[in-house]
Amino acid sequence: MQSANMLLKKLVRYSVFPFAVQHGMKKDLFSLSRTLILSHCLKEGSSRSPSEKLDLDAWKEVMKSGSQEVSATASEPKETSTLAAAREILEMWRLAGRLVPENVTEEQLKTFIECPSKSAKKKFLKFLYLKELHKKSEKRKTEERKERRLEMQESASKTEEPKRNPFLCLWTSSMDKIYNWRVAQSMIFGQPLVFDMSYEKDMSDREVANTVRQLVLSESCNRRSVDPFHIHFCNFKDDSLYHKEFIKHYREAWGKLLITVTDQCYTDIFPKNKLIYLTADSPKVMKTFDHDKIYIVGSMVDKSIKTGVSLAQAKRLGLETAALPLEKYLLWSRGAKNLTLDQMMHILLTLKDTGDWKKALEFVPKRKYTGFVNKPVHELKTALNLINALKLRKRQGELRKQFAKNYSKKLTQK
Amino acid sequence: VQPPEKPLQTEEWNRLRESFQAPEIFEEVMFNSMIRYNSSIDVAKSLLTHMAKSNSDIGYNLLVKYLALCVQQGKTSEICDVYDILKMRFKTLESGAYNLIVRGLSNSDQWRKALTLLEEIKKAMIPSRANYESCIKAACRHQEMTLACELYHEMLTKDLVPTLDILQTFFDYSRGMKDPELQKELFGILLYFRENQIYPHKTLMRSIKLWFESIPGENWRGHLTNITNSGQCPVCSHQLEDSELSEDEYNRLSERIIRDVIHGTDTFRKTSPQEFEAFQTFVENRLPFDIVIDGLNVSHIKPRKLQCENLFEAVNCLAKNNARLLVLGRKHMLVNSSNWKREIMKEMQNKADFFFAENISEDDAFLLYATLRSGKRCKFVTRDFLRDHKACLSDSLTRHLFRKWQRGHQIHIMESLKTSLFVCFFILQPAFSYDIVVQTTGDTWHIPYKDVYEEKYSYRVPRKWLCLHRKY
Repeated sequence: MQSANMLLKKLVRYSVFPFAVQHGMKKDLFSLSRTLILSHCLKEGSSRSPSEKLDLDAWKEVMKSGSQEVSATASEPKETSTLAAAREILEMWRLAGRLVPENVTEEQLKTFIECPSKSAKKKFLKFLYLKELHKKSEKRKTEERKERRLEMQESASKTEEPKRNPFLCLWTSSMDKIYNWRVAQSMIFGQPLVFDMSYEKDMSDREVANTVRQLVLSESCNRRSVDPFHIHFCNFKDDSLYHKEFIKHYREAWGKLLITVTDQCYTDIFPKNKLIYLTADSPKVMKTFDHDKIYIVGSMVDKSIKTGVSLAQAKRLGLETAALPLEKYLLWSRGAKNLTLDQMMHILLTLKDTGDWKKALEFVPKRKYTGFVNKPVHELKTALNLINALKLRKRQGELRKQFAKNYSKKLTQK
Repeated sequence: VQPPEKPLQTEEWNRLRESFQAPEIFEEVMFNSMIRYNSSIDVAKSLLTHMAKSNSDIGYNLLVKYLALCVQQGKTSEICDVYDILKMRFKTLESGAYNLIVRGLSNSDQWRKALTLLEEIKKAMIPSRANYESCIKAACRHQEMTLACELYHEMLTKDLVPTLDILQTFFDYSRGMKDPELQKELFGILLYFRENQIYPHKTLMRSIKLWFESIPGENWRGHLTNITNSGQCPVCSHQLEDSELSEDEYNRLSERIIRDVIHGTDTFRKTSPQEFEAFQTFVENRLPFDIVIDGLNVSHIKPRKLQCENLFEAVNCLAKNNARLLVLGRKHMLVNSSNWKREIMKEMQNKADFFFAENISEDDAFLLYATLRSGKRCKFVTRDFLRDHKACLSDSLTRHLFRKWQRGHQIHIMESLKTSLFVCFFILQPAFSYDIVVQTTGDTWHIPYKDVYEEKYSYRVPRKWLCLHRKY
């Protein structure tokens, strides 16, 4: 009896009570639990709790009666067996709650099978999954926008009808004309800027795709600038992966771009003494932007930080090299010093227009530096150390606080 | 959320679910916390029943979570039931569910079922090493040693690296058995340690020792000991293998270092062809050296001193016994500056040969090349662990050779703590004259072991040994 009572007390305290308190239904549930106690006391000895009326294995019958999952068996006959098997595995992973995209194309499935290791497979799937997620949310947003616009139009048509659209259209097309005029000018008189397209062998397919994306961004920001560069894509091979990706992005416009694309090397086009290869590994630091020089940027995304690849290229050709003076102007905090191609473009354009390093280096991502250098460097360094020390202490404090919080939570749970 | 202590009725689950802030994931969260709090499976069952009744379907992930709970509590019959249900509902299972079932079954008296399951997994994918681990442990536990060995070999052919746990199980359960076949297997494991330069940890070492001592009629005795620089075991006074590479290994290593480390994908990344050629002729004309010194690395030993003074002291320290020295540096050392005094550099150049690389070249690659070209007796001095160079080597066999060679030829140089003017300025930590690897002569075994379970640094080698020898 005693032990049964203890058990009951525990039951009340542990199971029902916290929920009741938590959700403010104290009275309701408590009366329920009290009835439970009573019934239990009555049946004391037979040791049957009321919930044992439940058939705990009932779910098994239900599950067994159900037919086989349709999704797992739905494999198209045209697919070869390995593909079908891979598709099944993906489906099971998705059911198990891993990060797996819902829709996988055959091409993606083939890449998946070709992944050399388990972790490579996982990474690839996660990449696809996130891509799908982004696409979905993008789609949802555009639809919402559409709806809102329709609503707006409806409400607007009721009141009045301003004809602004044609004007807007005219404006964008004329702006395009102006841009194109400027770029055409730069192709005759402008300062050349070379993108070295000889790094395809050093990159994975995804890195090449990223490179092309960054190049597209660079090109567009160059086109919109007041005084554009004359962009050269050198060492560009037709039917290379670069070419394919560019066509994916530009489609028909690829042939009409106002840039120079050539399979020649820049050393064949320009005098060697005018060329400067920009690379983060260079021991020389750029002091000023020289309007008579031709700067070369390596079209390469290296996610695995392949140090010295572009420096090796410059060394091989015997070219002068330079790195941006990031250390000199910025208090670097983290991240690699190699910047994306569009950031390089922004920086170079700003330098070309103003020659102001501070303005130009605004385009370095904010997460990579803590501030601009305007005091003597050693003073700033001590300040930075102090900040870091404080941060560390703060983090420790936070940890301690969190621990205390968790600990008190644990106590209340008991 | 804290799971309830006892099974609940459908209405009660409904109420809980509604009070939960995100009802869509209520079941998932509830199962997770059941696993965390190790709730009774009756509670989980009641939730499953509730779900089956209300929407007549239970998702795969929830079934797997329930399975995890059953495995955690060793409920064998439930595991079998869930497996039957999964098999009925789904054409294939994924690795997570398989892992759980194999683990659950192998720990029970139905462990043979786990073996059939392993066969089933093999049809769909390569089983993980955890699968093999469960099965091998189960087989060992039931004294089916041949079966365990078969599984172990199967695993090796699939390029899975066995965990040290598996190997320990073998030693633990073969204790006291007189079975020559099995004995051969276990010696095979020890040779596997040797080939892959794996050092057992303390508990594994103890298992090995106990196994040796338990072999009936062979009279093995095990002792723990430290082996000093001479390489002689203090217990059985056996001389350990010396650390020299064989002729073949040596040639292979030098060839690979030139190919992978110095040239790599692009010679220009570390040096340039002209420079490398110049260095080659420089070295060939002056061979052989006794000690090759990484000048820049050594020059940073004492931060308070001028860099050239540090180097000067090190060169003086090493220049005894007419040793032929080669110092590698960069061109900027020749320019008179606050850290590099021209007079001191001049004086040093009388005592040692110097090669100055371009300022943007890597001198470490030259260090390796010059040492290897000078022959087996040549040593090198740097505090660098050369891990990045080891990483450039393409296959693991060459990397092992590199580590072995490095152990035998690298002299570490350190600042001495007592900076008395009259004593030598540096402590030289000599290279090992003997090889630190599992080794045997038939009647003796010497096994280096680690004190801690996880060894963090690949360059650090154990100094403690297990000496095993037979008494007649």
